[in-house]
Amino acid sequence: MRLGRYTLTLEPRPTLSPLHAVLTAILAIFVALALSSVIFLRSELGALSAYRVIFSYAFANPNGLFTTVHRAIFLLFCTFAFLVPLRAGLWNIGLPGQVYAGALAAFAVPFALQAHEAPSPLLPPGLTVLAMVLAAAVAGAALAAFAGILWAKLHVNEILVTMMLNSILFWFVSYMIKEGGPYMGATAEGESFLLPDALRAPTVLGVPFTAMLAVGAAALLDLFFAKTTLGYKIRAFGLNPAASRYAGINPVTLPVLVFVLGGAFAGLAGYHNFAAIPGLYKISGNYGYYGDLAFYGIISGLIARGGAAAIPVVLLFAGLSLGARLVQGQLHLPFGVDYALLGLLMMTFVPFLILYRFRIALRLAPKALPQISADVPEA
Amino acid sequence: MKAGTGRVRRPVPAPAIHSPEGSSIPGEPILSARGITKRFPGVLALDRVDLDVRAGEIRAVLGQNGAGKTTLMNILFGLVQPDEGQLYLRGRQVHFRSPHDALTIGIGMVHQTRKLVAAHTVLENLVLGNPGARGFLNLARARREIGELCQRYGVVLELGARVWQLSEGEKQWVEILKALYRGARILILDEPTSVLTPPEVKTLLTGLKALVSDQGVTVLVVTHKLPIVMAVSHAVTVLRSGRVVASLRTDEATEQILVRHMIGKDVSLRLTKAPVEPGRLLLQVEDLSAFSDKGLRALRGVSFVLREGEIFGVAGVTGNGQEELAQVIAGLRPTAAGRILFDGHDMTLRSPLARWRLGIGYIPAERAEVASIAQFSLVENTGLNFHFDRAFSTQGFFDYARLEQLTERIVDTYDVKAPHLHVQAQNLSGGNLQKLILGRVLSRKPRLLIAHLPTQGLDVEATAFVRGTLMETCSQGAAVLLISEDLDEILALSDWIAPIYEGRFAAILSRGEADAETVGAMMAGLRSEEAGAP
Repeated sequence: MRLGRYTLTLEPRPTLSPLHAVLTAILAIFVALALSSVIFLRSELGALSAYRVIFSYAFANPNGLFTTVHRAIFLLFCTFAFLVPLRAGLWNIGLPGQVYAGALAAFAVPFALQAHEAPSPLLPPGLTVLAMVLAAAVAGAALAAFAGILWAKLHVNEILVTMMLNSILFWFVSYMIKEGGPYMGATAEGESFLLPDALRAPTVLGVPFTAMLAVGAAALLDLFFAKTTLGYKIRAFGLNPAASRYAGINPVTLPVLVFVLGGAFAGLAGYHNFAAIPGLYKISGNYGYYGDLAFYGIISGLIARGGAAAIPVVLLFAGLSLGARLVQGQLHLPFGVDYALLGLLMMTFVPFLILYRFRIALRLAPKALPQISADVPEA
Repeated sequence: MKAGTGRVRRPVPAPAIHSPEGSSIPGEPILSARGITKRFPGVLALDRVDLDVRAGEIRAVLGQNGAGKTTLMNILFGLVQPDEGQLYLRGRQVHFRSPHDALTIGIGMVHQTRKLVAAHTVLENLVLGNPGARGFLNLARARREIGELCQRYGVVLELGARVWQLSEGEKQWVEILKALYRGARILILDEPTSVLTPPEVKTLLTGLKALVSDQGVTVLVVTHKLPIVMAVSHAVTVLRSGRVVASLRTDEATEQILVRHMIGKDVSLRLTKAPVEPGRLLLQVEDLSAFSDKGLRALRGVSFVLREGEIFGVAGVTGNGQEELAQVIAGLRPTAAGRILFDGHDMTLRSPLARWRLGIGYIPAERAEVASIAQFSLVENTGLNFHFDRAFSTQGFFDYARLEQLTERIVDTYDVKAPHLHVQAQNLSGGNLQKLILGRVLSRKPRLLIAHLPTQGLDVEATAFVRGTLMETCSQGAAVLLISEDLDEILALSDWIAPIYEGRFAAILSRGEADAETVGAMMAGLRSEEAGAP
């Protein structure tokens, strides 16, 4: 672009430093919050105070902090569920469906053992919990594999398939837990049965053990992509499918595999959310809310692009979504403040991602050819 | 011709221009460049280049890849602005802000890649973008004018034909006509012969000569092909590393002199493979057929055998089934019919990975799109051929340290010029990337190497290196299936020569039976013999 005597150009940065990434992210967050303050203009409290309420509830209040952490774990699993296929160039938009599948499978274990009514003689509670975790991962993986196989074998668009599966699973959960459904709770309406005390996920300092799974996965995922041959193959496939096929990478098994891995993570998110978070332990009537929340795994995956880097991102998303819900109630703001806030955050991250990859350079424009005499210089 | 535009500076008498060639070439300079310098980030693309093109001559601009030929032509055509230096048309200084300025002044360019609309007719393509066609189209008038133009320049073209129906040679003529119709009197042709068959090259060169001698058009041909220079040009300017190293009359030059100027040292152009004692039967291809991506039968019943130590050369113009042939043997495309035996075992249905493991190496023509991953480092690119090798992984972990050592060896042995091993492959020039790919594939010590257009677009030095390496590979007992458009390359390297046309071998000739004329005619589908087994 030409600005008077200067040209403004976007140039790719030769090197991308981690420090620079962090600074860009922080700047993006501040800009997003500044933009979002419009939402609070009509309230008597003012934007700054509103943010103080949001952040102090999400990160300083003991209750709020626990809820933030629980939600962050859920989002972290969802992020990985999106991230693994993404590295192979595939978009797993089926996070809600896979979360539901994980939850349904987890609750299927006690249901099949009749353990939700009385302690089962078939399986001790510890093993039942383990079986629930495994069932959730397998169910999420199986559902995602469906999209992977259709894509690899028949080139059916994976985004369409996963979106449709979301819808199917949403109504399947509804059938399972609502009036007359197999999982219907004994007393409650429109909810599943409550997990008995013995089958609730063990906690450490009030945080369920799934936190360790999630944080461990964060570290292993980075190692997996950087060091293993399978991680190498996934990266190669994601960057250039033709070259990886040339190199002997199987163009059918690899895409199915990344969907299986991703789906397993989403299944674990379903287990965590409905069977491990203290105070819930059931598939609640508002399960659709958590399904929508799972989509934030996509955003944090696109922003973080890595396992460990996703942890601060999901903490921020979890805290903001919770805090904004609270303020919305307190300040009598219209419904949807939390989504508006997350949406704006996501929209500011995109241009800042460009700022991270490129730099804006303002240079003196090359002078127009000088108005010199036409006498040809003697060589 | 309209020379008077607002950008013309004070006139100078023409003789005032100092000619670097002295007075050895007659004729008045029509287009001159003085002290043209162009810098790109980190590169001095052109360094004080002087050039005088005389009216009514064919001027060849010769140079290796990266010598600055294309940059210079882009400056003459107004696509790129020079940092320093001036351009003169008939002694008047001109300044091109865009190709539009160059076109108004009568300079036209025919790019290496066609810029035509395939679904439109020849006439529509010629009218497209023509300043005379603003507002309402008057196709009848255009047809009349272009018809006259064709007659005057002796061009035979069906104006109502769709461009996709045309051969590459005809498309080139559409491009040339497009420039002439816009009033160009100076034509710049960038690598005009790169996709033409030998007969088409002949037609083009004859046509260009006629344009110049009968119509007084001036032609600038940018090329790195010496035979083209020798066959058609009156004078040649040699560029090396952005500088003019020589400007001479073609009849005073020899290929050897030009090569020395171009490279700065002598390179043997005439590498020829020594005949071999045929070794063990390695590859048997029987009646092989395959479909193209468009679902057309691109390969139609090809049969041949290949022994260890031999090079089997498939000569043809791209698009006659060569890509399908290479892919089918590499396992990347299913066979429609026929079978492939490797070392006596049927491997028609084996996966690409299985074929790598068996010792079949493949160098695809698309080195940036298929043979490498642009965003991967050199080390990671080497991994493409070693991720399945047990020696390079322990318990699922890729041995990147070992891969780095191997890459370093490849970079040293094959003279790959790269700043370091962790630079992304997209920063490598075509020749260096090809050397890396070649080194990587040969590091697997393949028993059969499929090399598809291995020297396409490479400069003289890299070409000689790649050809030498292929021959050395054979002398160590491997067999090579060489697929190329370059007839000289095929004839110099191959023990067996199979011209391919529309998915069939026109013949399988032994080295002694094959000569350029026969093979060239067969490549163009002009002649065919019963394919005899070698």
